[in-house]
Amino acid sequence: MLVMSRRLGETILIGDDIEIVIAHIGRSRVKVGIRAPRELTIMAREVKLVREENQAAAGATHPEAISGLVARLRPIGSVPAGAVPAAQGNRG
Amino acid sequence: MPELLTKNFGNVSFEPESELLFTAGLPGFEDRTRFVALAFAETSPLVYLQSLEDPALCFLTLPILAADPAYRLSICAEDLAELGLAVSRQPVIGEDVLCLAVLSLRESGPTANLLAPVVVNLKTRRAVQSLSLESGYSLQFALMPQEVPVCS
Repeated sequence: MLVMSRRLGETILIGDDIEIVIAHIGRSRVKVGIRAPRELTIMAREVKLVREENQAAAGATHPEAISGLVARLRPIGSVPAGAVPAAQGNRG
Repeated sequence: MPELLTKNFGNVSFEPESELLFTAGLPGFEDRTRFVALAFAETSPLVYLQSLEDPALCFLTLPILAADPAYRLSICAEDLAELGLAVSRQPVIGEDVLCLAVLSLRESGPTANLLAPVVVNLKTRRAVQSLSLESGYSLQFALMPQEVPVCS
């Protein structure tokens, strides 16, 4: 990995059309400005991880697995007050 | 009462005011904005987050305090504004917001996404999946760590 030291306001160029500016330096975080072609997707790595996690989660509602999960969750205890779900389903 | 077709329960009736609006969708499902949260006595405490636009899309979730009773919200100002909540303080779970952890069922056991909880404004039903980068919570929190084998 290439590691560079930059001061506030200084810039890094990647190729011909990507520019990264150190916009703010705080105590434990930096703000980075990015100028890049519109078609490039730019996101925090965690956003990509959450996206992948959601995609895996969306496929994981097999009834057998769920009944096993419920059986194991129940002993944990009742749901704390205020954690009530937003809607009660009524099977039609 | 309107009905919706669900992934796991066939047709289910729901109260129209229980509809949740994710104006930005959820990461990976940005074009799905309308959901309902469904809970059934036989699968309590689980909550199903069912898409109104795609019957095949349903997330399994758990009220976040059931996953971690000590959970503390740290929602960024941008998401608080999106939810229509005051940005000056964190909302109270159960009073201001409903907070759900999205579950994944893995071979190694179920995990809960505590890094990016689903947060719903209880007054307006606006919702976001709020990624709290500085919270330090796990994306894959083990709900039931494997039991330690007992030596005989």
